[in-house]
Amino acid sequence: MLSIKNLHARVEEKTILKGLNLEVKPGEVHAIMGPNGAGKSTLGYVLSGREGYEVESGSASLNDADLLDLEAEERAHAGLFLAFQYPVEIPGVSNLEFLKAAVDANRAAKGLEPMSSKELLKTAKEVCKEVDLPIAFLKRGVNEGFSGGEKKRNEIMQMMMLKPSLCILDETDSGLDIDALQVVAKGVNSQRSPERSFVVVTHYQRLLDFIKPDFVHVLADGKIVKSGGPELALELEKHGYAWLEEKSA
Amino acid sequence: MSHWFDRTQDAAKRGPLTQFQAKQLQVLANTAWPSRKTEAWRYTSLFGLAEEQFAAPSQQLSNPDFADIETIDVLFDGEEWQLPTSLPKGLSISLETVDTALTKPDHHIFGLINDTRTQQSLTIKVAESATITQPIRIAVAAQLNCEQFARVTAELGNNSQCTVIEQLAGNSEGLSSLFCEYDVADSAHLNHYRFQLQGDLHYSIGGNHIRLGNHSQLDSHVVGFGSKLSRLDIDVEHAGEHAQANLNAIFLLDGKEHFDLHTTIEHAMPNGTTEENVRGIVADRSKATFNGRIHIHRDAQKTLAELNNRNLLMSRNAELNTKPELEIYADDVRCAHGATVAELDEKSMYYLTSRGISRQDAQIMLNFGFINELVDQMQHEAVAEWLRPQLRQRFAQMKQV
Repeated sequence: MLSIKNLHARVEEKTILKGLNLEVKPGEVHAIMGPNGAGKSTLGYVLSGREGYEVESGSASLNDADLLDLEAEERAHAGLFLAFQYPVEIPGVSNLEFLKAAVDANRAAKGLEPMSSKELLKTAKEVCKEVDLPIAFLKRGVNEGFSGGEKKRNEIMQMMMLKPSLCILDETDSGLDIDALQVVAKGVNSQRSPERSFVVVTHYQRLLDFIKPDFVHVLADGKIVKSGGPELALELEKHGYAWLEEKSA
Repeated sequence: MSHWFDRTQDAAKRGPLTQFQAKQLQVLANTAWPSRKTEAWRYTSLFGLAEEQFAAPSQQLSNPDFADIETIDVLFDGEEWQLPTSLPKGLSISLETVDTALTKPDHHIFGLINDTRTQQSLTIKVAESATITQPIRIAVAAQLNCEQFARVTAELGNNSQCTVIEQLAGNSEGLSSLFCEYDVADSAHLNHYRFQLQGDLHYSIGGNHIRLGNHSQLDSHVVGFGSKLSRLDIDVEHAGEHAQANLNAIFLLDGKEHFDLHTTIEHAMPNGTTEENVRGIVADRSKATFNGRIHIHRDAQKTLAELNNRNLLMSRNAELNTKPELEIYADDVRCAHGATVAELDEKSMYYLTSRGISRQDAQIMLNFGFINELVDQMQHEAVAEWLRPQLRQRFAQMKQV
């Protein structure tokens, strides 16, 4: 599904990713943990095609599509979804209008007709309920005046509407209390399927209590320095990242 | 020097003129045709208009399309007003001779021209304590190669409420001049819309002049598509205490359109509130000017005034001149202003495209969102719904260079 090989990328003059390798197979959940500044968010931005993030070398493919060769919107069409750590507020553009445009754009890329407004509204209402967002939020500006937790739930809602094949969750747990965390995790878990994979980027082990990963990787200084099963996350929680850096040094 | 100005005065002289009109014509005779050195016309050249020659309208025009909402329609067909046949209780609409200015100051040269060139004044009166639920729609449709002058005065009695929609439509060569004056008495509430949805062939020059009494309220929405040359002067006078003025204006320019909005808010009395939001988008080689003046007189203590102007530049060749002017003589007031000119927010763009939306569609959505914030504030949802698709279409056509 997702195959990243020896990826080097920089922001402005600073190289952040320094030879990252990652293989994610259909249905798998991978957690990527690591200290601040290791390149965790950069990975999501590079894969999703944010401007200013420049790939120096290496490759990244998703379902046989060469991601790095595509525009941001084409990466979404290829099945990629990034749940942002800090979703932007877009006043004046309603959540519903935004969802319709996104759903229809992805359908159009597959050669499908736009979803009828009625069906879209019905689906959106159902999804709202699942992530515990009031239906009135559909009429509000995208993320406008939403609390931190509401923004994260709105990200999960978009994910549920778009049904991507690979979801990257960028520190989706940051700024969430335990209740909000459970709602988000429930949403994510409901989307797990043999065809859909997740890359869960997080600083803390806490989220992984709720979203059980198949693999845990440690990202430090731009590359994955250690991989293992869920037990690795527990070890990191206990000993911190310093322990690992000493070990790898 | 302006041949058009000379001709328009000659036409006025042929009369008949009321005493008031004769006086205005006299003032006009002593007024110089504005040049680029005239402060109020610094960024708007009348050079093109000076050489134009238009005819008087002859044929009857049809009513332009409007929102799916029951309105009391008044149509100006170029020369004459068509009045509604039945009116709700508390509302009167009549034609009067042009014998006084209600609230319009004398310093607007095109206001003076309008005074001398109009035969009749459409006069709207809302009785004390009357609430007119149906909006009054004043439509002026443009006729090819013609010039038309229309004048409206509206008096809202104490504690009354009404909605007035001024709609200027059509995209033929010619000139429309619509000046509307409003006297909003104590505790009255005026909902006001002005839609200047004309195209790049038309000259549109007009004004809104509003006086606010004690505890009165104004909610005004102006939307302009620009024209070959569009100039709108808005004056709001807080003549009573505790009046509240909410002004929103949107302009969207493309091609070589030119839009010039001058607003002047006079806080003459204490405890008044003004909130003014102006948003503009200029594309291609269009040009916009916004001059927003707030004048807080010495006795206007406890005034709250906010003026905000945000603009988006869609092209390197578009031009935008924005000038907030605060003149404050009272010492206990809260007053803020801000003006920004920016390009589209790349973060928002990335967010939308990361969801699969094309850059082009994302751009339309963001532009639309930028002004839709103000459209959302319109009190009549049907009016907002009528406007949105037109704005959307406008965006879709806007050229980015």
